[in-house]
Amino acid sequence: MSEPTHIRRVDQRPLREAISTRGRSIIPGLTKDDLIKYFFGGNAWISMVVLGLIMLSLFSQSIGLNPFAGFFGQDYRNQLAYRQSGLEFVDIIKKQAADLDDLGQYLSAARLQELKRLLAQGKNQGKTEDQSLADANAVLAPFDEYAGKLSGFGDGLGDIISNLGDTAKSTKTALKTLEDRKAEKQLYLSVGKKDLADKVTYQEVDLVAAVQPLKAALPSIHDASAKLASDLTNFIAQPPPSVDENMKDHLAGFNSRAQALITAIPDYQKQLDNWDPTVPLPWYAGVTDFFFNIKWQTASSWQNYYGIWPLLIGSMLISIVALAIAVPLGVGAGVYINQIATPWEQNLVKPAIEFISAIPSVVLGFFGVAVLGESLRQLSRWGFLPEFSERLNVMTAGVLLAFMAVPTIFTLTEDAINNVPRSFKEASYALGANRLQTIWRIILPAALSGVISAVLLGFGRVIGETMVVLLCAGNRIAIPPMSDGLMILFQPVHTMTGIIAQELGEAENGSIEWRALFMVGLLLFLISLVINFMAQRVVQKYKISIG
Amino acid sequence: MKKILTLTLATALSICSVQADSTLVIKGSDTLGAKLVPQLAEAYKASHPGVSFSIAAEGSTTGIAAIIDGTADIGMASRRAFDTEVSAAGANGRTLKPTIVAYDGIAVIVNSANSVSALNKKQIEGIFTGTIKDWSEVGGKPGAISIYTRNTSSGTYSDFAKMAMGGNNYAETAQKMAGNEEIASEVGKNSAGVGYVGMAYLNASGVKSVAVNGVKPTISTVQNHSYPLSRSTFYYTNGPATGEAASFLAFTISPAGQKIVQAVGFAPLK
Repeated sequence: MSEPTHIRRVDQRPLREAISTRGRSIIPGLTKDDLIKYFFGGNAWISMVVLGLIMLSLFSQSIGLNPFAGFFGQDYRNQLAYRQSGLEFVDIIKKQAADLDDLGQYLSAARLQELKRLLAQGKNQGKTEDQSLADANAVLAPFDEYAGKLSGFGDGLGDIISNLGDTAKSTKTALKTLEDRKAEKQLYLSVGKKDLADKVTYQEVDLVAAVQPLKAALPSIHDASAKLASDLTNFIAQPPPSVDENMKDHLAGFNSRAQALITAIPDYQKQLDNWDPTVPLPWYAGVTDFFFNIKWQTASSWQNYYGIWPLLIGSMLISIVALAIAVPLGVGAGVYINQIATPWEQNLVKPAIEFISAIPSVVLGFFGVAVLGESLRQLSRWGFLPEFSERLNVMTAGVLLAFMAVPTIFTLTEDAINNVPRSFKEASYALGANRLQTIWRIILPAALSGVISAVLLGFGRVIGETMVVLLCAGNRIAIPPMSDGLMILFQPVHTMTGIIAQELGEAENGSIEWRALFMVGLLLFLISLVINFMAQRVVQKYKISIG
Repeated sequence: MKKILTLTLATALSICSVQADSTLVIKGSDTLGAKLVPQLAEAYKASHPGVSFSIAAEGSTTGIAAIIDGTADIGMASRRAFDTEVSAAGANGRTLKPTIVAYDGIAVIVNSANSVSALNKKQIEGIFTGTIKDWSEVGGKPGAISIYTRNTSSGTYSDFAKMAMGGNNYAETAQKMAGNEEIASEVGKNSAGVGYVGMAYLNASGVKSVAVNGVKPTISTVQNHSYPLSRSTFYYTNGPATGEAASFLAFTISPAGQKIVQAVGFAPLK
């Protein structure tokens, strides 16, 4: 045991201090070391702060720091005004008229079917298109005369609807004006212009008097409904004189529908009799409107609804299509490039795929509008795809988004496969497995967690994409009818990202539309957050330990 | 895109003319800002060297909001300001003053291959509210109608609902397009399409306008309001316009300016 060597230093300070504080500090009280630490730490934390600020602003613009002034509060008042003004009452009558319209549309659909049959007949007889259209219309003339009577049956109800609708709308406007005035006064007071605030006067709306005309109209509604029932009964008792067999089937279908309407009329009447504008709304009315309503309807002069479903389903449909295409392509390409490809192929294909992500999405969007949409429609005309009419639809947008998601999925998949320990592969070969068996049974399962997170991040890329869906999705705010089966993939939809981009620029600052759009943004943000969180969890939880 | 393009162009122009004495900032309606105002600006610059323009066409609401916030000299609008906007301006110490600069007819357009060339208001209402679903119901060849409209916060969207649809809601199947040009191009490519655009967009390829209640949208029918779907377009300013803005406004409603209004496809003031 020798004595520990003692090094004599000129600097007598402890070693640690001597290293860390060479030179004098610029700011008193902080060593240079501290400054470097704070510089890097600040850079790391600034992104956290920005993220926090974004979340805070999203939250305050949507739900609001004061929920009564935020979206849910505004939507609650929006729905309360709907009930108090009596629009709800008029909507019950409207429902009745809408049922009648449906009957009319049933006849129109029957006529269309007949017309198509007659046109086909005319074509076989060698008539020109215009000639056979004229002839077919002539043949259908008695039917048209018959069906034309139907539209007159709604006139009685129509007059009542338009009168009462005007009354209810003006009450709603009065309620809106009242709210605006109160807000205006608040605004003036908040900027300290008391003189202007004093000039703002308003009067509370007398809600009892406002719905009086609606209640008073009950007997005349009853009469109009009764007349509608008797008209319909007479109508189905006298079918048009000359109808062929096909038409008879249609008319039989019509009769049963008309009967259903006639029996439903007393129910409507009961609803009207029992309607009460003072029934309170549940406090969560705004919440249910956003999360459970299937209608998104804004800028309506009647009533606005802010149900997220049409937009959510649109975004989801497009994402599903995109992933269905991008996952096999991206994962397949990743496996091939990492495991099978020659170095020459690797050097060519890998940068090429990664280059795709450098294409601006607006360029892809233009490509979709100008080329892809039309090409897909052409393919359907030639019979390679089922027939559809709108060229901007889920498929057009989905195909382009798949193209955009491929680089993300490809790169991450390749990384995941790279992370599989070499020993796994070698052990597999040692046991006599061939290359494909090794890839399929050993490497892919070992990299599965990475692949799944790659797919999830690809999903995040797709659902947040805006430009392509705005240009190529067709922007129809309606849930595609599920009865169409897979054909819903060829229907236009609107998306959560698209509606924000399209409407926010023109929405009045702080209005309910504005806040509803921020609600959509908040939801989108949460979805992305969950996806990213899941992607991280999957990787951590199922990581294969080396050795 | 067009808007971004306009912006970029405006920025590029303003960078080019560094020695410009003043820049007029104009924001607002897509209907006015896409074609008419840029052309007026070009003509104005010819007679007033040294003035540069920054024009952004992102919808009437942005134009009025820009006047309220004081971020523009002129706000273009295809509708009048709402009460809430008037009071918001008051709170900021500004007053919104509208000046009518041109009349615009909203034309209902169909594909030029469509045999339908006239519709009455009731039929238009039926088509856009979704109760009429097939062209054969209005005398055309069978084919499901595809409806193209503007986006919902656009001034034209609500104007059309008020003027042509009795204030009823649009059909759910309507597709919301970003601007007049997009509507015209979709209708031009879809033989079963129907939509509406400002009169200035009628010469797009593959579309034709239909007569409404027997009246075709032309400059004279819009001027005398016999075309049912006519409306006014506005410049909004903070109080009476001053300085360069006043002189541009005067130029717009002068005979020379109104000539351009007519050339672009709007109806000039009488």
